[in-house]
Amino acid sequence: MQQLQVTDLHVEFGGLRAVDGLTFNVEEGEILCLLGPNGAGKSTTLDLICGKTQPTGGSIRLNGTEISQMLEFHRARLGIGRKFQVPSVYKDLTVAENLSVAISKRPGIWSALSRFALSDVREAGAILERVDLSSKSNELAGNLSHGETQWLEIAMLIAQDSKVILMDEPTAGMTIQETERTAEIFRSLSASHTLIVVEHDMSFVRTVADRIIVMNRGAMLAEGSIEEIESNEDVKTAYLGH
Amino acid sequence: MTSKFHYDLIALVIFAIVIAFGVPALMNYDGFELNTFARYLALAIASMALALSWGTAGLLNLGQAATFGMGSYAMAMHLKLRASDGLPDFMGWNNVSELPLIWVPFESLAFTLLAGLLIPAFIGGLTAVFMFRARIAGVFVAIITLAFLVAFQLLVINQQGMTGGQNGLTGLAQLSLPGWTVDPYSTGFYYLVAGCLTVALAIGVYLTHSKFGLILRAIREDADRTRFFGYNVATYQTAIFCLSAALAGWAGMLYTMVLEFASPTYMGVSFSLAIVIWCAVGGRESVIAAALGAIIVNMLEGRLSDVFVEGWHLMLGVIFVLVVMFMPRGIYGVITETAKRLHHPKRRHRKTDLQSSSTKQLETGQES
Repeated sequence: MQQLQVTDLHVEFGGLRAVDGLTFNVEEGEILCLLGPNGAGKSTTLDLICGKTQPTGGSIRLNGTEISQMLEFHRARLGIGRKFQVPSVYKDLTVAENLSVAISKRPGIWSALSRFALSDVREAGAILERVDLSSKSNELAGNLSHGETQWLEIAMLIAQDSKVILMDEPTAGMTIQETERTAEIFRSLSASHTLIVVEHDMSFVRTVADRIIVMNRGAMLAEGSIEEIESNEDVKTAYLGH
Repeated sequence: MTSKFHYDLIALVIFAIVIAFGVPALMNYDGFELNTFARYLALAIASMALALSWGTAGLLNLGQAATFGMGSYAMAMHLKLRASDGLPDFMGWNNVSELPLIWVPFESLAFTLLAGLLIPAFIGGLTAVFMFRARIAGVFVAIITLAFLVAFQLLVINQQGMTGGQNGLTGLAQLSLPGWTVDPYSTGFYYLVAGCLTVALAIGVYLTHSKFGLILRAIREDADRTRFFGYNVATYQTAIFCLSAALAGWAGMLYTMVLEFASPTYMGVSFSLAIVIWCAVGGRESVIAAALGAIIVNMLEGRLSDVFVEGWHLMLGVIFVLVVMFMPRGIYGVITETAKRLHHPKRRHRKTDLQSSSTKQLETGQES
């Protein structure tokens, strides 16, 4: 089933067409990787889907609902989650509090007023176990190491439990072992979630991607499996120049 | 957090016991002294209300005095009507021949009490909706609320026929509750104000430890990130603004009862900034600390302004500068840092790794 349909998407920043007539569909439970040289519009595409940037034209449909004009919190409630390139945990909150914010099934104000800050403690504990952060749950997130911060972010994505998860370079700065474990977690997530990942690490892409879209100058250059992409002449030209 | 919540509950209970038993005993149940202290307690409510919006949500509301003044005037209008036979005296002096329509419902005590909470909440909420829908944040919130305060004070002063203008509302009756005429110099009145402060603090402690408070802290740190979790940031910010305004209105009502008049200086810039100073001295992260800050600074003012009539404001300014420079988290920060050091002596070792090994041995010796 087509979960996300992006049709003829456009955005311009002061004359620069960052995304120019992009069209693609994402199936439910799929892991789609976006590749492309710097400035190809990969991150912008994620920004457009999650609502950080408003498109100048085109449509984005989630399970048939048009979302391109919605505010970001509405889209999040419909099931779109986002992990940013720069680690964005709440440094002044503890690890457990970070997770409690991420557990956002009931984001309304009345539900928040009627519950204690850490009322979802069991759910949070299980997720922390999964990423090996249980011992740090009362630590301020600002005191975590870079790797631990990445894990906390992934834990927060699991806690948020979005149907469609958008990730911007999730393995940046990770060691090889950490990257492997991330790949493992991604594969287990894809059973119940759809993932769109921007990533440069080709070995990681090879392990996780079901399908790859290569972008160049805001448009789709090629689409297919990893083998198809690696043998595509246009892709080689885009990456290596003329 | 649960342990933090317990600490806050213990602090609240101790605070309540001290103001309920310690303070009156210390003052020998003297009516005049208790009235003075009740004034501090009323101001403490205004300070803890600011701690909710400033400390928890990071929204520096420099217009806190406006909502405080609304509550204060609501109560004063009721008490003025009770004191007058028909038309309040100042209206006659201003050639107002008929009671203005907005004064009429303040005949009712129930309406007055509701209005003292709901009008500030509504006006606060209205400004909040316009600001936060437009995603205004940081210093611009302070500027807009300050501008609103100045405009509102001007409006009150200019509508002399309705508000008493520069003179405010004076010659008020004492509040008569069913079966109790509230004398502001009685022990009973002191307990009324102390009880109100305790309830307000209990509400504040609950709010800061609820998920609502957690989301507000998340918004303070990164509003955009919080939106991507599906939280409607503007709604949360508006809600805390309304709550904070209602509490300030509550404080204003009590303040009018303490001083037995309402004045436009309650809506002045200097009063509004004073609330910020109390809050900063006590520690804006904790409602109890902010209340304590208001009490301490006002007690100091009470003692020192008798001696240094002109110099007092300068001293207050110096205190504020020193607090911001040397204890940016206020008294609360000093207490929590000290407690942390006592609880986790290991932390100190990491910091002292570079020091000579002899001091290290000394410290491990102390630990065991």
